[in-house]
Amino acid sequence: MASSCSQALGHHVFKRSRILQIHLQKSWPNRSFALNSAADQQLAVSSPEIVIPKKKTWSKEAVLQALASTVKRDPTASDYRFQDDPYLTPKTSSEFKLFSLSQESGRNAAKYFINTYPKYFQKDYAQPHIPCLMPDSLEAQIEEESEAALVERVRMRKVRAAVDLFDQLQQAGTPVSLDVTNQLLDLICLYGDHDPTQENVPEQRIEETEDVQDEPQAKKGRGAKASDLLKASWKENNNAERIFALLSEPNAHSYSAVIRGMVKYGAHSKAFSFYTDLLNSRLKADVHTFNALITAAPEVKEKYNEKWELIVDLLKQMAEQKVKPNLLTLNAVLKALRRCGTVGRSQAFPVISEMKSLSIDPSLASYTHLLAIFYKPGAPVQGQTDVLQEVMNEVSGKSFSPQDPDDALFFITAMRICLDTKDMEQAYRVHELLGVGENWRLLGKDFQQNIYYARFFSLLCMMENIDVMLKWYRDLVPSVYYPSSNVMRDLLQALDTDNRLDLIPLIWKDIKQLGHANRQNLVEELLTLMAREKHNQEVQESFAECALDIKKIYDTGDRGKVLLNWTAGSLNDLISVLLAAHRTRDAWEMLKLFKTHNRVPSEELLNKFLVCVKEAGEVNQAVELVQISAGFCLPGTPKLIQRVLQEFELTEQQRNMLSDLEIQSFNSD
Amino acid sequence: MAASITHPALSSLYKINSNINGIYSLISFNRRISISSVRSSSAVATETEASGRGVRGQRRSKRQAGEPRSERMAVDQDWTAVYPTAASFKPAAVPLPVRMGYPVKRGVPPAKKGNLELIKIPNFLHLTPVAIKKHCEALKQFCTEWPSALDSDEKCMKRFPIQVQSKEFVSAGLSLRNPDARIVTLKVKLSSLNLDDHARKKMIKLSEERYCKDTDTLTITTDSCPLRKQNYDYAMYLLTVLYHESWKTEAWEQEKTRADMEEYEWEDSPSQKKVLDTLLRMRALGAKDEVEEGTREELLGQPVVQEYRDTMLRLKNEGETEENLHKYKEAVKKLFNI
Repeated sequence: MASSCSQALGHHVFKRSRILQIHLQKSWPNRSFALNSAADQQLAVSSPEIVIPKKKTWSKEAVLQALASTVKRDPTASDYRFQDDPYLTPKTSSEFKLFSLSQESGRNAAKYFINTYPKYFQKDYAQPHIPCLMPDSLEAQIEEESEAALVERVRMRKVRAAVDLFDQLQQAGTPVSLDVTNQLLDLICLYGDHDPTQENVPEQRIEETEDVQDEPQAKKGRGAKASDLLKASWKENNNAERIFALLSEPNAHSYSAVIRGMVKYGAHSKAFSFYTDLLNSRLKADVHTFNALITAAPEVKEKYNEKWELIVDLLKQMAEQKVKPNLLTLNAVLKALRRCGTVGRSQAFPVISEMKSLSIDPSLASYTHLLAIFYKPGAPVQGQTDVLQEVMNEVSGKSFSPQDPDDALFFITAMRICLDTKDMEQAYRVHELLGVGENWRLLGKDFQQNIYYARFFSLLCMMENIDVMLKWYRDLVPSVYYPSSNVMRDLLQALDTDNRLDLIPLIWKDIKQLGHANRQNLVEELLTLMAREKHNQEVQESFAECALDIKKIYDTGDRGKVLLNWTAGSLNDLISVLLAAHRTRDAWEMLKLFKTHNRVPSEELLNKFLVCVKEAGEVNQAVELVQISAGFCLPGTPKLIQRVLQEFELTEQQRNMLSDLEIQSFNSD
Repeated sequence: MAASITHPALSSLYKINSNINGIYSLISFNRRISISSVRSSSAVATETEASGRGVRGQRRSKRQAGEPRSERMAVDQDWTAVYPTAASFKPAAVPLPVRMGYPVKRGVPPAKKGNLELIKIPNFLHLTPVAIKKHCEALKQFCTEWPSALDSDEKCMKRFPIQVQSKEFVSAGLSLRNPDARIVTLKVKLSSLNLDDHARKKMIKLSEERYCKDTDTLTITTDSCPLRKQNYDYAMYLLTVLYHESWKTEAWEQEKTRADMEEYEWEDSPSQKKVLDTLLRMRALGAKDEVEEGTREELLGQPVVQEYRDTMLRLKNEGETEENLHKYKEAVKKLFNI
């Protein structure tokens, strides 16, 4: 919907019409001289100076950003990516993943088509021009063998092609300058001598055997795990080393590229030997090389002390060579300290203070590593809660921007620690930090977000009372977080602790919507909780409705597939719930299910049933009850028979039948 | 299999089939098509099998809708978060039981779910008073102070008599540009310009339909240039030119005839001549036949003649109303001493 705003009497009037104003009142200055003082005063009063303030300028998006800052999160809406329709919003976490991935894959498919047939997509509709919507040129333009062609392939990140071209140039004898060779080395070391995976290209079944890295990412979620397992390692005598050897005078940049590549792909000791070569050639390493070496240090040594000494050594060399450390240095040191055990704990804070004195502000990644040093997962907490508190004091109220890939781990680490130490206050502070400024970007991918909220929720279930818990529940579910069935069980237990079992039908509705209705444990626990105690009439009614709903789940679906199997316990509970609400007829039908599913009813159930039947006064049903009981050879049958004989008025036939049964059961005992 | 295909649409179906077989994510689609391709040999049979009924009992159960969002909304929620921008009507997100449409015979207007009428019309759900207040608060930082000297409308009109209007358009589409944004409208009251009688008449004549007599406003609308700035400059230029031209008197303006006059003038009009004639005749009946120049002015100077002149002017300039006609009647009666 287009909205139009008209500017009447805007700044135009103030600035531009001064022309006319001057024209009209040109004679005024002249006039004011001729007048006497009284008239002068009059004039001054009637025409005070109109001060027109200078117009403010702002960037193009400033107005939109200002308006956007008035909008807060809507707790009932799902993620902004999805269509806002009851059919089309995802209700379970698997749907969420499926929908978001399908959106992405659609986009990738479109991108693929645009890039494969660029000649059909040349017309530009968008004004102003949007470059990322135009087809990318994926093929190299310059064909002949020259340095320019090599530079182009390097820029387009075609590793294999660039290396081949370099070899061709070497064979042809054309000298390749050091800069270009350095760029080539950078490229090879960044991608580990393989072509970067094309995300937009669909899977190609035809692969070469050594293209392990080229295993395309099928879907982003699965792809991440697959490529982690298949992470390439630094091979012996690969292209990078070969080209390096061809260089007559490698400079610091070349060494740096190779060292960083080695560290990235796991050849740590080689990296250190290269570093000694670098020192021997009297070249200076730059800060990136040092960062890489510090990252590699824990891999090379075994004992904690040695690791730490190596790192200190490297830092000293850095100081000698007058290389300024940056934030990544700090983070690398802290990450290495994680592997240093007790040494890490003693050295972490001094490191941070030293870096601060060099005016390097710690980012969220540094705090993550710090927390990880002090709180090892699975280790018992030894009164270390101060560290988390101190960290939160430092961090609260600040907005962070992403500076390090590990920044995304801060929130889930902090929440894990809160969960382990059962610290609710810090958990609230962590959650509050998420709302400050741009910090929501640092929550990470969808599955990381899920982990964070799962931990937060479990903590809430454990620690807080039910009202607070429900408030958070309504706020977060299902717009941001789709709880798993374990979390729902925690929630049920929390309800139980706080004696709010009347909320069970609502929770059941949510469970059904979240797709956990086919979890045997969850449903059975639900039934047990409902059947355990007697509540007032309304609650019992709602429980009965809920129970009937649950019963539908147990029945076979329209595909003939059985979702849940009846167990004796669940049947018992269900029937007791129905009986407590006086739905005798439904309960009676359910009783028949015992036989069909080969389960045995419990004694209390039959007793309860008898009581209900007595209230209803159905004699036949009572007799049938006894028959059922006898059919299952329950030990309580004689007592039942006695009760029926005493409490009910029976016909002769029925009496005979009952006495037969009595004898039968007596005999079988 | 290939030989039996004659239907061109289905041949493409088979081509897609071979590509689809490679993509494992589209499993069910794959299965349905491959089953149909295995079984069928005729075009018609393939189509029916692929399109509809459950093959091997694999009927997909219909996807259930979740409960609408409005059920979970609290009464005191933040509505500006639900509808932050202009959006079409979403029945699941609006918790009001609205009905719209033509009712079927003896029925009610249809409910909001799936109601196209509600979706077609523009809605202002994003501009509730609360939302507008919030927006104004946020936009205050872009505004400068209003000059304190300009505290009334008259002062504004006095100091800044020219009003310039232009429109800005915001829409989400392929292009940000809207050609209507270049139109500039300039409004000025002629009373605020320094014009004498001749200049004013000339200006009005020059501006033709751009001048509105009731409000004494000259409106210049320019859209001939592609940019707004250019149009604005052009409008100011036109105003300046009009002003200066109307002050000049050309030689040929002397040839202004009675038909070019904007207003009716009584002097030298047929009406005056007739009145004079009649009065003279009236006089002449009673007295000697003396026609002198002096009597002309004397006759015209009489109050009845003046009154007649007034009514005549009023009739011609203002139009024929009851009052004017009545006054004319009175004047004529007085003139003839009836």
